[in-house]
Amino acid sequence: MIENIWAIPLFPLIAFVLLLAGRNVFQAKTATWVGSLSAFLSFLGSVAALWVQLSEGNHLSLFPWLSFGETTIRFGIELNQLNVLMMILVSLISFLVQVYSHSYMKGDQRVPIFHAYLSLFTFSMLGLVLSPNLLQLYIFWELVGVCSFLLIGYWYFKPEAKRAAQKAFIVTRIGDVGLLIAVILTLLYVGNLELTTIFASLDAGEIPPGMVTLIALLVFVGAVGKSGQFPLHTWLPDAMEGPTPVSALIHAATMVAAGVFLVARMFPLFQSSSVAMDTVAWTGAFTAIFAAGIGLVQYDIKRVLAYSTISQLGYMMFALGAGGYVAGIFHLMTHGVFKALLFLVAGAIIIVFNHEQDLRRMGGLWKTHPTLGWFFVIGCLSIAGIPPFSGFFSKEEVLLAAFADGRMGIFILGIVTAFLTAFYMFRLFFLAFWGKSSIETRGKTVASTMIWPMGVLALLSILAGFVEVPGHHLSFWLREGSDTISGKVGEASIWVAFFSIAVSLAGIILAWAVYANKSIPRDLLQKPFPWLYSFLHRKCYVDEMQRAIVVEPYRMLGFLLSAFDRYIVQGIVHLVAGIPRFAGAIVTRLQNGQAQTYALVSVIGLVLLIIGLTAGRLFG
Amino acid sequence: MMENVLNMLPTWLAFSPLLGAMLLLLVPQKRTGWLKRLGILATFPPLVLALLLYGTFHSGMDSVQFEHRLQWFEIPLSGGASWELTYHMGVDGLSMPLVVMATVVATLAAFASTYIQKRQKEYFLFFLILEMGMLGVFLAQNLFLFFLFFEITLVSLYFLIGIWGFVHRERAANQFLLYNGLGSAFLLISLVGLLVLFGTLDFNQLQELSDHPRTKGVLSQSPLKEIVWGIFLSMVVAFGIKLPIFPFHRWMLKVHTEAPPAVVMVHSGVLLKMGAYGLIRFGVQLFPDQMRTIATTLAVLGLVNILYGAVLAFVQQDLKRVLAYASISHMGIILFGVASANVSGLTGAVFQAVSHGLISAVLFFFIASLVDRAGTTEIGKLGGMARSAPVLTGVFLAGGLALLGLPGMSGFVSEFLVFVGLFQQEPALAAVGILGLVLTAAYTLRAVLATGFGPLKSRLSDITDIKPSEAAPMLMLLAFILLIGVYPDVLGEPIKATMQMIASRIGG
Repeated sequence: MIENIWAIPLFPLIAFVLLLAGRNVFQAKTATWVGSLSAFLSFLGSVAALWVQLSEGNHLSLFPWLSFGETTIRFGIELNQLNVLMMILVSLISFLVQVYSHSYMKGDQRVPIFHAYLSLFTFSMLGLVLSPNLLQLYIFWELVGVCSFLLIGYWYFKPEAKRAAQKAFIVTRIGDVGLLIAVILTLLYVGNLELTTIFASLDAGEIPPGMVTLIALLVFVGAVGKSGQFPLHTWLPDAMEGPTPVSALIHAATMVAAGVFLVARMFPLFQSSSVAMDTVAWTGAFTAIFAAGIGLVQYDIKRVLAYSTISQLGYMMFALGAGGYVAGIFHLMTHGVFKALLFLVAGAIIIVFNHEQDLRRMGGLWKTHPTLGWFFVIGCLSIAGIPPFSGFFSKEEVLLAAFADGRMGIFILGIVTAFLTAFYMFRLFFLAFWGKSSIETRGKTVASTMIWPMGVLALLSILAGFVEVPGHHLSFWLREGSDTISGKVGEASIWVAFFSIAVSLAGIILAWAVYANKSIPRDLLQKPFPWLYSFLHRKCYVDEMQRAIVVEPYRMLGFLLSAFDRYIVQGIVHLVAGIPRFAGAIVTRLQNGQAQTYALVSVIGLVLLIIGLTAGRLFG
Repeated sequence: MMENVLNMLPTWLAFSPLLGAMLLLLVPQKRTGWLKRLGILATFPPLVLALLLYGTFHSGMDSVQFEHRLQWFEIPLSGGASWELTYHMGVDGLSMPLVVMATVVATLAAFASTYIQKRQKEYFLFFLILEMGMLGVFLAQNLFLFFLFFEITLVSLYFLIGIWGFVHRERAANQFLLYNGLGSAFLLISLVGLLVLFGTLDFNQLQELSDHPRTKGVLSQSPLKEIVWGIFLSMVVAFGIKLPIFPFHRWMLKVHTEAPPAVVMVHSGVLLKMGAYGLIRFGVQLFPDQMRTIATTLAVLGLVNILYGAVLAFVQQDLKRVLAYASISHMGIILFGVASANVSGLTGAVFQAVSHGLISAVLFFFIASLVDRAGTTEIGKLGGMARSAPVLTGVFLAGGLALLGLPGMSGFVSEFLVFVGLFQQEPALAAVGILGLVLTAAYTLRAVLATGFGPLKSRLSDITDIKPSEAAPMLMLLAFILLIGVYPDVLGEPIKATMQMIASRIGG
């Protein structure tokens, strides 16, 4: 069994090839079947792998991939606790998303292609988490990027989708280059890219400390790009141009999870450098509150969720930066489940409202679609951190990690973010489900293939927290057999729990008062601080700044160099070409300065002369 | 016996395109269908022989294999001495991958040549002579022979551009000839210099002689030292024009835009690589000391190529020009590899030569079908083609992803190896150069998205998708690109020993 783990990512790859080849043959239903089945087989395989991991322990197998000089780079498969956990999360969510897509994408022209891309996405992410080698991880890392590019731009005819896809690829590639430099430096200093070797040489102190910090920071640059941390987060909200199931997949289990996974996977590296840990923690904390702030004032349902993802990823990052290895992974897992749920419900809401995404035009859904309401409120309670929903337990671990680490600033940012999170999520909930809407929603049914994936996720959102609480099973399991990952086990300070619940409840009540009960006016923020409101509403002008500082100057440079190339470089050429012409004109006093003709004649003449002179000798 | 036959393999291989060329002469001008079919078929003997070469190649060997050597002629000198010129063919780990790549690209370019509308007979004749020339360049073990083949490629390409190109074909052909004639002149100067200094142009002998401590001692003194430098630099210029190194690139822009796309497949895919091959073979291998001295300069030139090409590719309005500047940028990677003067950099340079050959070929195959259908390559006139021609757009997308160095495809392996090499020698330049990866993604996606994505332009609404007979060769190229990307040892293993030997000469 343990030797066959490589087959797990292979199912979706086969599905990808099949669907791509048979895109004109398969009906939409068959395509859904092929895609979902492959993901389901991967899921079964992942569960089996978990069982194997529990009974037989970790596993590693390698084969040579590329050799040059003295170096041989070996790729392969590694099974360990973190990898198997990610495999289950990835394959499960991608299975549910594929099933859900059947109804969501109904009527679309290219359903087989859609499922092909989703399958490739699943394959890439599974390949990523199974990588025992940093270069192999990087390869799948980029494949994940390209898959999200393809899916964000799936509706290729929409100019917004085209722009968003391009932006997603290029912004994350900036991060990728950081990671690639880290890979190269690691190879130069360690002589190998296998993670076990890297960790061993970190332990032995073979890498100079300054270089450890540099490599760790560069790895983190990669994670910043993929996981939408400030300032490379700008692609993530725009990525909402993709179909909603894609958003669910990107935000829950694949693309953005990759960055957090990377930091967790390379945790010994980060632990070896306090500068790197500080950077991770502060970047995460800042991103968490920054994105939550923007999320407060957005009106597009998917964009609010996008900013909530950025903010939650910030939580995971600062947990890891604070040494909370388990907390970060735990939150990655629970967030994967409830964020997938929220997006799938959001997709259903959008369909019910005839593809309207503006929250101001929504309302009253609780009466017509109570099932969606219940699912959504489970997701909201989870992300807001209300017990016993899964998000509560993981957020608790995150806050405890920050608290135990002693970085009070980060802890406070975390608490404030918890309040903001509860507020904007319930703002979203009340706007969509309370009040009235101008759009008729009665009689619009949601297909059962959409309902039951949401049901599974809702159930898991409630239950997922109990893998850790009570008993810390997840912690013990994740730490098993690795002494490199020390981290601090959060001392269960009961007041932290009460405090965070109180804060979240305050957020919910405020949202209720403003948006449901309407006892507090909506321009709560807009009136006293109009500048702050518009600053947040315009997403803190990060996009505009990036345009002004990077994109436009680059384009200008292009045009300037273009002119330089055309006039200066070409001009010099004309000058050089003119010299023989000029000389020829003087010598022969003829205006027949055909330098090219002379050149051709002389070249041909030379060739013929040499062949004529020599060929006889060769054969004779 | 078998051994002897195999040793003739390079000779058979180099001249095998002539077989088809002879048959072509027998077909009447008017039978265009037959001419096309025969033209394509004529590229198969070299392809098969090249694959045979790959199959029988001894991976562990770092010296020349399949050697075939004949006395050719002597130039008697006074005092009983003479200059001896030999017919000497053979192949090693540096040339083998280029030979295989060249035959693959040539065959698929022959498929793309079916878009040629006039004078097919002469076209294929020149095309096959061009193929012979480029195979000869990589297989020749004597510099004189090398030079002859090199000139043959110039002449045949001149006609291919000048007769079958687009509107400004003649100007492009002339400019091509002017630059490359200049390059040849430099090459000739250095050849004569070598002949005078060493009395031979046989590559093995040159290498042995120049390695000999006594010759080393003699050559390190003035004025011979300066003469050797002169020979070396004129070689660098000759191959620099071919590669091309900034600012010698203007001619290749014209060729990229004015030559028929099938010819550009060969030109951008294979002929530019003669510059890379020359730099490694005659620069690094023959003049390791001089090469080491100018390594930093080369790295700076490489950086200029990468960034200059990438920035300009981003603002071009014509797909062909985007790809032309992209070639300039990608040749910078080869310069980086050569400049890093160590085994990973040099291996990466060879990977890049092969990989870019295949990628250029697929992209210009795409251009060929695009021109055939849409009649234009201007970005402003294209858009939304994923609707009317999804497969064609898909090929461009895949080729574009290969171009931007997507892992899993061949370009990534070469970039990785080159940067591993350069970070050891010039970390600062490498760190700036690696940003080129972002710029590459920017211009590639801009081109791909502008063509395939967005609303469908009305004038493109009735274009048809490519037929399976067109898709097959493109997919074939993509399959090679994927093969090298997914399992690079398929290329890395056979070239390893040679690259190690070359790197050890320059001290890497």
